Amino acid sequence: MACFFAVNAAAQQDGITPNSIKIGVMAPLTGNASSYSKAQIGLDAYYKWVNDQGGIHGRKIETVMEDYACDSTKGVAAVKKLIHQDKVFMLHGNSCSAVAMAIKPIVIEAGIPWVIAHAANPNISTPPVKNIFHGVPVGKTMGIAMGQFVASKPGLARVAVISHTDDWAKSYCGPATEYLSSMKVKPAIEVAFERGQTDSTAQTLRIKQANPDFIIACLYEAETAIFLKDMKKYAVNAPVMGTAGTDLENTLKRVGDLDTVANYYVPHMYADNLDGPKLKKFADILKKYYPNETVTAFSLISMGGGAAVVEALKRAGRDLTREKLIAELDKTKDFQTGVLAGPITWTSSDRDGVKEVAVAGFVKGKPTVLKSWGKPL
Amino acid sequence: MFALQLALSGLAQGAIYALVALSLCVVYRSTTVVNFGHGDLVMAGAFVVYVMVVLAGLPFLASAFAAVVLLFILGLCIEVGLIERIKAGPHIGFALMCIGFGYVLRGIARAGWGREVLPMPRVLDFLPLLMGDLVVTGDSLVIFAVVAVLLGAFFLLFYRSSAGRVMQAVCQSERGAGLVGINVRAFHGVMWGAGAALGAAGGVLVAPITLLHPNLGAIFLIKGFAAMTLGGFGSFGGAVAGGLILGVAEQLVGGYVSTKMIDITAYLVIILVLALRPNGLFGRAIAERV
Repeated sequence: MACFFAVNAAAQQDGITPNSIKIGVMAPLTGNASSYSKAQIGLDAYYKWVNDQGGIHGRKIETVMEDYACDSTKGVAAVKKLIHQDKVFMLHGNSCSAVAMAIKPIVIEAGIPWVIAHAANPNISTPPVKNIFHGVPVGKTMGIAMGQFVASKPGLARVAVISHTDDWAKSYCGPATEYLSSMKVKPAIEVAFERGQTDSTAQTLRIKQANPDFIIACLYEAETAIFLKDMKKYAVNAPVMGTAGTDLENTLKRVGDLDTVANYYVPHMYADNLDGPKLKKFADILKKYYPNETVTAFSLISMGGGAAVVEALKRAGRDLTREKLIAELDKTKDFQTGVLAGPITWTSSDRDGVKEVAVAGFVKGKPTVLKSWGKPL
Repeated sequence: MFALQLALSGLAQGAIYALVALSLCVVYRSTTVVNFGHGDLVMAGAFVVYVMVVLAGLPFLASAFAAVVLLFILGLCIEVGLIERIKAGPHIGFALMCIGFGYVLRGIARAGWGREVLPMPRVLDFLPLLMGDLVVTGDSLVIFAVVAVLLGAFFLLFYRSSAGRVMQAVCQSERGAGLVGINVRAFHGVMWGAGAALGAAGGVLVAPITLLHPNLGAIFLIKGFAAMTLGGFGSFGGAVAGGLILGVAEQLVGGYVSTKMIDITAYLVIILVLALRPNGLFGRAIAERV
């Protein structure tokens, strides 16, 4: 009888059948930020791998992927479809912070568990909301790491900032400049470079006039490549600290030569170099299910959150409800994912799960994880 | 020196805007259709070159030429197959048709490369000319040269050749041109083809200096509209001047006022020109006999 009620309780939950758990995954599969969807592709591969290991309490994870092209309107439509039409059990997705902020009220109202797969704006999960969990380091964590790395350059006196004017960019640049201000280094110049622009001459020349020792660039991928190329054109030689919205390998591919990116650095959220032994297992998982995917810094980033979700689903047991999953996610403490640089800890008062980030840059032409300026990990 | 550097860069950007504005203007003046899908023709031109150069391994110059020819044919087909069919309908039908085929082109690009921001081969990377502190970048020089040749050829054809005089005749009066035996339908198709080809040339030039993605055309559509508005609707020379002025204005605004203003400069130009001088700098008010 108890078993009957247990099965019945689970069966009444949207997205749960005796054999499956339906998870909605929102990804920017198209549009000019589409390479971020590599994060959700990696997550999907991870869940497929979990299924091949036997699943969770006899159930397989069934992912339903929806494209939102990094566009808030499409994001709202996608999440409504996942919740009301596909009736998923939980959400695990989103790369673009502005879109995540747009869909946040809908997710809160629906009460459905949502683990943020990639978007970094801390305001998505802070102040804490019952059903929202951040599965990657937030912009503030990475911004502070960026500031710390910039400050570690000997003789640093002048910093320039180039950024988009959206919340995403502020979530990186704000904490980075605040940290530097606390070290008595205030930006000598701050310039805007909006998304979609195809030329950054005005910004580059103004930065050149300011003669900075370091430049902080809170820009998406395409604009980062354009800015780095313009820096080379106008002989601006200062090192550039980018965000986790870019990665070294793809930036090199886009600018076309190592010279242009030799002084470019990004936050690094992983436990190892991308081709290092600690990440081999995860890279192999991706290759197994998506053999044509190239591994970039975005590819494995959501797998850490995926591992934490799987662990919480296991703890929640066969009689699965959203309430139980949320309760178990909240008990996640110092969970080592094997892929992220730091453990995941979620509590009811702090949903910013990952607090440790390193920095990566090119050393002798090879992407290398650094603990501070000139010092490999 | 700072201002001169900004102006130089602005002229290079403006040259591309000029090309896009001129191509919009060609279609508008010959058929009175404002092509809201034109940005996607710019994008399509760039993607054709990408496919030929990167995927098929063909030389850049031959690929660029082939892209322009292919887009000419596509433009002609759009006019003959889509626009001509709805000619008798309301003007809104033209706008919706243009938006429709633009999105189809974008969708095709997304189907193939939706998750990528693609780098084009750096064919325009030549050593810069250094004049003191002034940097004249290699890509700027190539863009200036190519756009100058294209514009020169276009204006020579339109204003100095017998074919151009036929085109001018149709632009002035379709009915009159038809009465003297000019094939107006064929003329419309050719002008749509020419507009698409010029737009494609803009895409071919811009892709190697930025990056390629399916939404690339959207920003150039707005810049093209702004340049055409500034120069005066239907004025070929005005479209070119409007593009160059817009390119320089964006850079100077970014350099001296605020970099946050660069993105809205084109929109401000559209609003100000329409409010203060609706015919633009070089457009003429159309007098109608009643």
